[in-house]
Amino acid sequence: MSGFSTIQPDPSQIGRLLKPAFAVLPDPPLLFRQRAERFDALAQEGAMAPYLRFLARLSGVQAELAAKLPAPEPIPAEQVERARANGMPPLDRAALAADPALRATIDRFLPAMETVEMPRQASDALAWLRRTTPEMVEEMLGNIMADSIPFDALPAHLFLSAAVQVHAARLAATLDAERLVPVETGLCPVCGGPPVSSMVVGRPGAEGTRYAACSCCGTQWNEVRVKCLACGSTKGVGYKSPEGEEATVKAETCDSCRSWVKILYQDRNPSLEPVADDVASLGLDMMMGETEYRRAGFDPFLLGY
Amino acid sequence: MNMELSRRGFLRAAGAGVAGTSLGAMGFSEAEAAVAAYVRPLKLANTTETRNTCPYCSVACGIILYSKGDVRKGERAEIVHIEGDADHPTNRGTLCPKGAALKDFVQAPTRLTRPMHRKPGSDRFEPITWDAALDRIARLMKDDRDANFVLRNDAGIPVNRWTTTGMLAASATTNETAWTTFKVAKSLGIVGFDNQARV
Repeated sequence: MSGFSTIQPDPSQIGRLLKPAFAVLPDPPLLFRQRAERFDALAQEGAMAPYLRFLARLSGVQAELAAKLPAPEPIPAEQVERARANGMPPLDRAALAADPALRATIDRFLPAMETVEMPRQASDALAWLRRTTPEMVEEMLGNIMADSIPFDALPAHLFLSAAVQVHAARLAATLDAERLVPVETGLCPVCGGPPVSSMVVGRPGAEGTRYAACSCCGTQWNEVRVKCLACGSTKGVGYKSPEGEEATVKAETCDSCRSWVKILYQDRNPSLEPVADDVASLGLDMMMGETEYRRAGFDPFLLGY
Repeated sequence: MNMELSRRGFLRAAGAGVAGTSLGAMGFSEAEAAVAAYVRPLKLANTTETRNTCPYCSVACGIILYSKGDVRKGERAEIVHIEGDADHPTNRGTLCPKGAALKDFVQAPTRLTRPMHRKPGSDRFEPITWDAALDRIARLMKDDRDANFVLRNDAGIPVNRWTTTGMLAASATTNETAWTTFKVAKSLGIVGFDNQARV
């Protein structure tokens, strides 16, 4: 670092006071491999093990696919600039449902899932999904892009969501993180989706800052701490966790809009992963279900709480 | 609001209970039931994270105070941890050694919580009421100012100096408080004055 080069004061040039990056784009193969590894580690014990083991295999399939697929067509530069000028997300989720590249990803993902061991309900849904019509798939993709998943066909939507995650993460990876702008509190600057959870990170240059993790494209973006990710309020924010333990996963509650989103303290436990640890902390969701607060974090692998 | 949630809210309101979950629908109901059984006896505890400003010096670093107990629900809160606020543009989460030891400052048994007075010749501090303390301070200030106020310097030019009393004011204040403090001290003619003292 060259120190002071202009007459304008710049406190970030003093010592190691760096402004943390606004957004961290996913490296898709790495993202899903690390998620698979974390699911595997969490599946070593506890009541959730069968489901976590299944999701470890599913993330493994996602990782393999992310590494093998041909490079996706980048999002057109003029679309990115137009979105930037208007404070909109550059990845158009509504248009994504009709993207042939997404269909190709789905067509590779579904057969790859056949090798994964899973209960009857899940394998039936997978088999049905491979047989069903393109129109049906398009309708379900529409539901997924709107984060509105009907419970009567939840397993089929879960598989499709996993394939969408791969494609969306690969598209997000084609962007330039420096060119992203905040869209709205609690919305992904790449695809406009809601977060799964948020993390207080410990990585150098961003120690103690909070990043929300997108449930769709895997982008992580900086959000001010002690702030509700559902409504943006900073008043009446509390943190709930089971009594008597030093929790590193807590529920960030908001008294303004009565919702809550999980917050993971990665600065205290670097192994935490936004999706895997969201699923593995299902107990917290069950306890929060008894309170007045409503879950606002979105995770296709943990719907219904 | 996202539609998945509104639909769930509707189903709950309609008395349908939990309509369905990812685990149940995928055939992992056993795992789900086991987690439910595990958390049944557990209770939720609340912690609060509150933004504040370090009281030590005029750099005014942002800090986050972690406390247990929910003041909003009438409980007594206790500070369990203090750290730098990484979102604060001044310090970005860093703190000096004094700031890093703030929790001990807050919880110190020797912390001053009321006015104390050490009488001339005495070897100890004794509690004194605010009224008595302020009256005494005002009396001593008035006497000292009447005795030592410098109206004009040797050349006969008006200077209105009061050099025999000084004032230190702390820095964890707003600009408005600092302005008022300055006006009070300077209108009395106090010269030895720091209203952003590094204590």
